[in-house]
Amino acid sequence: MSEAAALPPGEHLVHGTDPHLAHHFSSLERQVDASRLGMWLFLSTEVLLFAGLFTGYAVYRYSFPVAFAASARTSEIWAGTLNTIVLITSSLTVALAIHFVRAGRQRAAVVCLAITLFFALAFLGIKAIEYTAHFHEHQLPGRYYRFEGVRLPGAEMYWALYFLMTGLHGLHVVIGMTVLAVIAWRTAHGYYSAHYYVGIELAGLYWHLVDLIWIFLYPLLYLI
Amino acid sequence: MTENGEHHSALPYFIVWVALVILTVTTYRTGRMHLGTWALPLALTIAVTKSLLVILFFMHLWEQKGANRIVIGTSFVFVALIISLTVADVATRFPLATPAGAPFGSDIPAQLEEPAPEYQPPAGKIGEPPRGVPEPK
Repeated sequence: MSEAAALPPGEHLVHGTDPHLAHHFSSLERQVDASRLGMWLFLSTEVLLFAGLFTGYAVYRYSFPVAFAASARTSEIWAGTLNTIVLITSSLTVALAIHFVRAGRQRAAVVCLAITLFFALAFLGIKAIEYTAHFHEHQLPGRYYRFEGVRLPGAEMYWALYFLMTGLHGLHVVIGMTVLAVIAWRTAHGYYSAHYYVGIELAGLYWHLVDLIWIFLYPLLYLI
Repeated sequence: MTENGEHHSALPYFIVWVALVILTVTTYRTGRMHLGTWALPLALTIAVTKSLLVILFFMHLWEQKGANRIVIGTSFVFVALIISLTVADVATRFPLATPAGAPFGSDIPAQLEEPAPEYQPPAGKIGEPPRGVPEPK
Protein backbone atom coordinates (compact mmCIF):
# COMPACT_ATOMS: atom_id res chain seq x y z
CA MET A 1 0.00 0.00 0.00
CA SER A 2 1.49 3.28 -1.07
CA GLU A 3 1.85 6.06 1.45
CA ALA A 4 -0.94 8.60 1.70
CA ALA A 5 -0.26 11.58 -0.50
CA ALA A 6 -2.72 14.31 -1.42
CA LEU A 7 -2.04 15.51 -4.93
CA PRO A 8 -2.08 19.24 -5.59
CA PRO A 9 -5.24 20.12 -7.50
CA GLY A 10 -4.90 20.23 -11.26
CA GLU A 11 -1.67 18.29 -11.40
CA HIS A 12 -1.31 16.27 -14.58
CA LEU A 13 -0.58 12.63 -13.89
CA VAL A 14 1.91 10.59 -15.85
CA HIS A 15 1.85 6.81 -15.56
CA GLY A 16 4.20 5.68 -12.84
CA THR A 17 3.92 8.83 -10.78
CA ASP A 18 0.45 8.30 -9.29
CA PRO A 19 0.86 6.94 -5.75
CA HIS A 20 -2.56 5.23 -5.97
CA LEU A 21 -1.80 3.27 -9.14
CA ALA A 22 -0.65 -0.32 -8.64
CA HIS A 23 2.10 -1.37 -11.02
CA HIS A 24 0.05 -4.15 -12.66
CA PHE A 25 -2.58 -1.73 -14.00
CA SER A 26 -1.99 0.34 -17.11
CA SER A 27 -4.16 3.19 -15.86
CA LEU A 28 -5.99 4.30 -12.75
CA GLU A 29 -9.28 4.08 -14.61
CA ARG A 30 -8.78 0.37 -15.26
CA GLN A 31 -7.70 -0.19 -11.67
CA VAL A 32 -10.87 1.47 -10.37
CA ASP A 33 -13.04 -0.51 -12.81
CA ALA A 34 -11.42 -3.75 -11.63
CA SER A 35 -12.00 -2.79 -7.98
CA ARG A 36 -15.64 -2.07 -8.67
CA LEU A 37 -16.16 -5.36 -10.50
CA GLY A 38 -14.48 -7.23 -7.65
CA MET A 39 -16.77 -5.54 -5.13
CA TRP A 40 -19.92 -6.38 -7.12
CA LEU A 41 -18.75 -10.01 -7.30
CA PHE A 42 -18.26 -10.03 -3.52
CA LEU A 43 -21.68 -8.44 -2.97
CA SER A 44 -23.21 -11.16 -5.16
CA THR A 45 -21.77 -13.86 -2.91
CA GLU A 46 -23.17 -11.96 0.09
CA VAL A 47 -26.60 -11.90 -1.54
CA LEU A 48 -26.38 -15.66 -2.09
CA LEU A 49 -25.27 -16.21 1.52
CA PHE A 50 -28.42 -14.50 2.76
CA ALA A 51 -30.46 -16.29 0.07
CA GLY A 52 -29.85 -19.54 1.99
CA LEU A 53 -31.52 -18.08 5.07
CA PHE A 54 -34.34 -16.55 3.03
CA THR A 55 -34.93 -20.01 1.51
CA GLY A 56 -35.15 -21.52 4.98
CA TYR A 57 -37.60 -18.80 5.94
CA ALA A 58 -39.70 -19.49 2.81
CA VAL A 59 -39.86 -23.23 3.51
CA TYR A 60 -40.85 -22.90 7.18
CA ARG A 61 -43.23 -20.06 6.49
CA TYR A 62 -44.91 -22.29 3.92
CA SER A 63 -45.08 -25.12 6.48
CA PHE A 64 -46.29 -22.98 9.43
CA PRO A 65 -48.13 -19.96 7.97
CA VAL A 66 -50.32 -19.37 11.05
CA ALA A 67 -47.49 -19.59 13.60
CA PHE A 68 -45.27 -17.28 11.52
CA ALA A 69 -47.99 -14.65 11.09
CA ALA A 70 -48.86 -14.80 14.82
CA SER A 71 -45.19 -14.61 15.87
CA ALA A 72 -44.46 -11.68 13.54
CA ARG A 73 -47.33 -9.81 15.22
CA THR A 74 -45.68 -10.28 18.62
CA SER A 75 -42.31 -8.92 17.42
CA GLU A 76 -41.22 -5.40 18.32
CA ILE A 77 -42.73 -3.73 15.26
CA TRP A 78 -41.86 -0.19 16.42
CA ALA A 79 -38.18 -1.16 16.63
CA GLY A 80 -38.15 -2.77 13.20
CA THR A 81 -39.81 0.25 11.60
CA LEU A 82 -37.53 2.71 13.36
CA ASN A 83 -34.48 0.69 12.35
CA THR A 84 -35.64 0.68 8.73
CA ILE A 85 -35.75 4.48 8.74
CA VAL A 86 -32.36 4.62 10.52
CA LEU A 87 -30.70 2.38 7.92
CA ILE A 88 -32.28 4.18 4.95
CA THR A 89 -31.03 7.49 6.31
CA SER A 90 -27.55 6.05 6.90
CA SER A 91 -27.56 4.90 3.27
CA LEU A 92 -28.34 8.48 2.26
CA THR A 93 -25.42 9.86 4.28
CA VAL A 94 -23.02 7.33 2.69
CA ALA A 95 -24.23 8.33 -0.78
CA LEU A 96 -23.72 11.98 0.22
CA ALA A 97 -20.17 11.23 1.43
CA ILE A 98 -19.28 9.94 -2.04
CA HIS A 99 -21.02 12.94 -3.59
CA PHE A 100 -18.95 15.33 -1.47
CA VAL A 101 -15.62 13.62 -2.08
CA ARG A 102 -16.33 13.67 -5.81
CA ALA A 103 -16.80 17.42 -5.49
CA GLY A 104 -13.49 17.68 -3.63
CA ARG A 105 -15.04 18.37 -0.23
CA GLN A 106 -13.29 15.78 1.93
CA ARG A 107 -14.26 17.36 5.24
CA ALA A 108 -17.97 17.21 4.39
CA ALA A 109 -17.44 13.59 3.32
CA VAL A 110 -15.86 12.72 6.69
CA VAL A 111 -18.78 14.36 8.51
CA CYS A 112 -21.23 12.29 6.44
CA LEU A 113 -19.33 9.08 7.23
CA ALA A 114 -19.33 9.98 10.93
CA ILE A 115 -23.11 10.52 10.82
CA THR A 116 -23.43 7.11 9.14
CA LEU A 117 -21.47 5.52 11.99
CA PHE A 118 -23.77 7.24 14.48
CA PHE A 119 -26.83 5.79 12.71
CA ALA A 120 -25.21 2.36 12.69
CA LEU A 121 -24.70 2.58 16.46
CA ALA A 122 -28.31 3.67 16.87
CA PHE A 123 -29.39 0.64 14.84
CA LEU A 124 -27.42 -1.72 17.08
CA GLY A 125 -28.78 0.01 20.21
CA ILE A 126 -32.39 -0.45 19.09
CA LYS A 127 -31.60 -4.06 18.16
CA ALA A 128 -30.16 -4.65 21.66
CA ILE A 129 -33.37 -3.32 23.27
CA GLU A 130 -35.34 -5.65 21.01
CA TYR A 131 -33.23 -8.72 21.79
CA THR A 132 -33.50 -7.99 25.53
CA ALA A 133 -37.30 -7.89 25.27
CA HIS A 134 -37.36 -11.21 23.40
CA PHE A 135 -35.10 -12.84 25.99
CA HIS A 136 -37.37 -11.66 28.81
CA GLU A 137 -40.46 -12.99 27.02
CA HIS A 138 -38.67 -16.30 26.22
CA GLN A 139 -39.26 -15.73 22.51
CA LEU A 140 -36.30 -17.97 21.77
CA PRO A 141 -35.40 -20.69 19.26
CA GLY A 142 -36.05 -24.38 19.66
CA ARG A 143 -36.64 -25.87 23.10
CA TYR A 144 -35.93 -22.54 24.81
CA TYR A 145 -39.18 -21.16 23.40
CA ARG A 146 -41.50 -20.52 26.38
CA PHE A 147 -43.56 -17.59 25.14
CA GLU A 148 -47.15 -17.79 26.42
CA GLY A 149 -48.57 -15.40 23.81
CA VAL A 150 -48.20 -17.78 20.87
CA ARG A 151 -48.48 -21.51 21.53
CA LEU A 152 -48.47 -22.93 18.02
CA PRO A 153 -46.21 -25.54 16.41
CA GLY A 154 -43.59 -23.75 14.33
CA ALA A 155 -43.37 -20.61 16.47
CA GLU A 156 -39.95 -21.68 17.75
CA MET A 157 -38.82 -21.98 14.11
CA TYR A 158 -39.85 -18.38 13.50
CA TRP A 159 -37.62 -17.27 16.37
CA ALA A 160 -34.74 -19.49 15.22
CA LEU A 161 -34.88 -17.81 11.81
CA TYR A 162 -35.43 -14.40 13.39
CA PHE A 163 -32.25 -14.65 15.45
CA LEU A 164 -30.22 -16.22 12.62
CA MET A 165 -31.23 -13.63 10.05
CA THR A 166 -31.05 -10.52 12.25
CA GLY A 167 -27.88 -11.89 13.89
CA LEU A 168 -26.06 -12.36 10.60
CA HIS A 169 -27.32 -8.97 9.46
CA GLY A 170 -26.13 -7.42 12.74
CA LEU A 171 -22.70 -8.97 12.18
CA HIS A 172 -22.65 -7.26 8.78
CA VAL A 173 -23.56 -3.96 10.45
CA VAL A 174 -20.53 -4.33 12.77
CA ILE A 175 -18.21 -5.20 9.85
CA GLY A 176 -19.63 -2.29 7.83
CA MET A 177 -19.01 0.08 10.76
CA THR A 178 -15.39 -1.07 11.00
CA VAL A 179 -14.83 -0.55 7.28
CA LEU A 180 -16.53 2.86 7.32
CA ALA A 181 -14.47 3.96 10.33
CA VAL A 182 -11.20 3.04 8.57
CA ILE A 183 -12.32 4.78 5.38
CA ALA A 184 -13.40 7.90 7.29
CA TRP A 185 -10.03 8.02 9.07
CA ARG A 186 -8.16 7.71 5.77
CA THR A 187 -10.35 10.37 4.14
CA ALA A 188 -9.67 12.71 7.05
CA HIS A 189 -5.94 12.17 6.47
CA GLY A 190 -6.14 13.06 2.79
CA TYR A 191 -5.76 9.59 1.28
CA TYR A 192 -8.93 9.99 -0.80
CA SER A 193 -9.75 12.94 -2.99
CA ALA A 194 -11.88 13.86 -6.01
CA HIS A 195 -9.13 12.26 -8.07
CA TYR A 196 -9.22 8.90 -6.28
CA TYR A 197 -12.10 7.85 -4.03
CA VAL A 198 -12.81 4.21 -4.93
CA GLY A 199 -12.29 3.08 -1.31
CA ILE A 200 -15.16 5.24 -0.10
CA GLU A 201 -17.25 4.03 -3.00
CA LEU A 202 -16.69 0.34 -2.21
CA ALA A 203 -17.28 0.81 1.53
CA GLY A 204 -20.48 2.62 0.56
CA LEU A 205 -21.53 -0.29 -1.66
CA TYR A 206 -21.09 -2.67 1.30
CA TRP A 207 -23.17 -0.42 3.52
CA HIS A 208 -25.93 -0.15 0.92
CA LEU A 209 -26.01 -3.95 0.78
CA VAL A 210 -26.55 -4.05 4.56
CA ASP A 211 -29.47 -1.66 4.02
CA LEU A 212 -30.74 -3.74 1.10
CA ILE A 213 -30.93 -6.95 3.14
CA TRP A 214 -32.76 -5.16 5.94
CA ILE A 215 -35.30 -3.87 3.39
CA PHE A 216 -36.31 -7.52 2.86
CA LEU A 217 -35.92 -8.66 6.48
CA TYR A 218 -38.22 -5.92 7.78
CA PRO A 219 -41.51 -6.91 6.07
CA LEU A 220 -40.81 -10.66 6.32
CA LEU A 221 -39.97 -10.72 10.04
CA TYR A 222 -42.09 -7.88 11.41
CA LEU A 223 -45.11 -7.26 9.20
CA ILE A 224 -46.56 -10.32 7.54
CA MET B 1 -14.04 6.97 -12.68
CA THR B 2 -17.53 7.84 -13.76
CA GLU B 3 -16.85 10.90 -15.88
CA ASN B 4 -15.87 12.85 -12.73
CA GLY B 5 -18.99 15.00 -12.98
CA GLU B 6 -18.07 18.27 -11.30
CA HIS B 7 -21.54 19.74 -11.15
CA HIS B 8 -23.48 16.78 -9.76
CA SER B 9 -26.35 17.82 -7.56
CA ALA B 10 -27.11 16.06 -4.28
CA LEU B 11 -30.84 16.57 -4.83
CA PRO B 12 -31.49 13.14 -6.47
CA TYR B 13 -30.22 11.40 -3.32
CA PHE B 14 -32.72 13.28 -1.17
CA ILE B 15 -35.54 12.48 -3.61
CA VAL B 16 -34.64 8.78 -3.44
CA TRP B 17 -34.52 8.98 0.37
CA VAL B 18 -38.00 10.57 0.51
CA ALA B 19 -39.31 7.84 -1.82
CA LEU B 20 -37.77 5.16 0.44
CA VAL B 21 -39.35 6.64 3.56
CA ILE B 22 -42.75 6.89 1.85
CA LEU B 23 -42.49 3.24 0.76
CA THR B 24 -41.49 2.20 4.30
CA VAL B 25 -44.54 3.96 5.75
CA THR B 26 -46.70 2.32 3.05
CA THR B 27 -45.44 -1.18 3.81
CA TYR B 28 -45.88 -0.53 7.55
CA ARG B 29 -49.48 0.67 7.10
CA THR B 30 -50.48 -2.14 4.72
CA GLY B 31 -48.66 -4.68 6.91
CA ARG B 32 -50.83 -3.73 9.89
CA MET B 33 -54.06 -4.12 7.88
CA HIS B 34 -53.60 -7.95 7.68
CA LEU B 35 -54.61 -8.18 4.07
CA GLY B 36 -54.46 -11.99 4.01
CA THR B 37 -53.43 -13.47 0.68
CA TRP B 38 -52.28 -10.14 -0.70
CA ALA B 39 -50.07 -9.19 2.25
CA LEU B 40 -46.99 -11.16 1.10
CA PRO B 41 -47.04 -10.17 -2.61
CA LEU B 42 -47.65 -6.52 -1.70
CA ALA B 43 -44.87 -6.43 0.92
CA LEU B 44 -42.44 -8.11 -1.49
CA THR B 45 -43.37 -5.73 -4.33
CA ILE B 46 -42.65 -2.74 -2.07
CA ALA B 47 -39.38 -4.33 -0.88
CA VAL B 48 -38.25 -4.98 -4.47
CA THR B 49 -39.11 -1.39 -5.45
CA LYS B 50 -37.11 -0.07 -2.49
CA SER B 51 -34.13 -2.28 -3.26
CA LEU B 52 -34.17 -1.17 -6.92
CA LEU B 53 -34.07 2.46 -5.78
CA VAL B 54 -31.09 1.71 -3.52
CA ILE B 55 -29.22 -0.35 -6.16
CA LEU B 56 -29.79 1.97 -9.10
CA PHE B 57 -29.25 5.34 -7.45
CA PHE B 58 -27.46 4.96 -4.09
CA MET B 59 -25.19 2.22 -5.46
CA HIS B 60 -24.92 3.98 -8.85
CA LEU B 61 -25.65 0.86 -10.88
CA TRP B 62 -27.56 3.20 -13.23
CA GLU B 63 -24.25 4.64 -14.42
CA GLN B 64 -22.04 1.55 -14.04
CA LYS B 65 -20.40 -0.61 -16.66
CA GLY B 66 -22.31 -3.55 -18.09
CA ALA B 67 -20.17 -6.20 -16.35
CA ASN B 68 -21.23 -5.03 -12.89
CA ARG B 69 -24.89 -5.16 -13.88
CA ILE B 70 -24.50 -8.71 -15.20
CA VAL B 71 -22.79 -9.85 -11.98
CA ILE B 72 -25.46 -8.61 -9.58
CA GLY B 73 -28.27 -9.51 -12.01
CA THR B 74 -26.99 -13.10 -12.20
CA SER B 75 -26.94 -13.41 -8.42
CA PHE B 76 -30.60 -12.28 -8.27
CA VAL B 77 -31.51 -14.93 -10.86
CA PHE B 78 -29.95 -17.60 -8.64
CA VAL B 79 -31.71 -16.23 -5.54
CA ALA B 80 -35.03 -16.56 -7.39
CA LEU B 81 -34.10 -20.11 -8.48
CA ILE B 82 -33.05 -21.39 -5.04
CA ILE B 83 -36.12 -19.98 -3.28
CA SER B 84 -38.74 -20.91 -5.90
CA LEU B 85 -37.43 -24.43 -6.60
CA THR B 86 -36.97 -25.29 -2.92
CA VAL B 87 -40.46 -24.09 -2.00
CA ALA B 88 -41.90 -25.88 -5.05
CA ASP B 89 -40.24 -29.09 -3.84
CA VAL B 90 -41.63 -28.78 -0.32
CA ALA B 91 -45.07 -27.77 -1.61
CA THR B 92 -45.46 -30.77 -3.93
CA ARG B 93 -44.37 -33.60 -1.60
CA PHE B 94 -46.85 -36.33 -0.71
CA PRO B 95 -46.47 -39.48 1.37
CA LEU B 96 -46.26 -41.99 -1.49
CA ALA B 97 -43.25 -40.18 -2.91
CA THR B 98 -41.10 -42.44 -0.77
CA PRO B 99 -41.70 -46.19 -0.57
CA ALA B 100 -43.00 -47.76 2.60
CA GLY B 101 -40.27 -48.79 4.99
CA ALA B 102 -37.80 -46.22 3.77
CA PRO B 103 -35.85 -44.83 6.75
CA PHE B 104 -36.95 -41.28 5.91
CA GLY B 105 -39.91 -39.27 4.75
CA SER B 106 -42.68 -41.90 4.83
CA ASP B 107 -45.81 -41.98 7.00
CA ILE B 108 -46.51 -45.63 6.12
CA PRO B 109 -45.12 -48.36 8.40
CA ALA B 110 -42.80 -50.97 6.94
CA GLN B 111 -44.12 -54.45 6.18
CA LEU B 112 -41.72 -56.48 8.27
CA GLU B 113 -41.68 -60.16 9.22
CA GLU B 114 -42.79 -59.47 12.76
CA PRO B 115 -45.54 -56.84 13.11
CA ALA B 116 -44.24 -53.38 13.78
CA PRO B 117 -44.59 -52.63 17.52
CA GLU B 118 -47.57 -50.45 18.35
CA TYR B 119 -47.93 -48.33 15.23
CA GLN B 120 -49.29 -44.90 16.06
CA PRO B 121 -50.97 -42.95 13.30
CA PRO B 122 -49.13 -39.76 12.32
CA ALA B 123 -50.21 -36.68 14.19
CA GLY B 124 -51.24 -34.99 10.95
CA LYS B 125 -49.31 -31.83 11.58
CA ILE B 126 -46.85 -30.68 8.99
CA GLY B 127 -43.28 -30.62 10.12
CA GLU B 128 -43.46 -33.26 12.84
CA PRO B 129 -41.31 -36.33 12.23
CA PRO B 130 -43.32 -39.40 11.25
CA ARG B 131 -43.96 -41.84 14.05
CA GLY B 132 -44.21 -45.62 13.84
CA VAL B 133 -41.38 -46.05 11.38
CA PRO B 134 -38.86 -48.49 12.81
CA GLU B 135 -35.27 -47.44 13.21
CA PRO B 136 -33.05 -48.55 10.31
CA LYS B 137 -30.85 -51.48 11.25
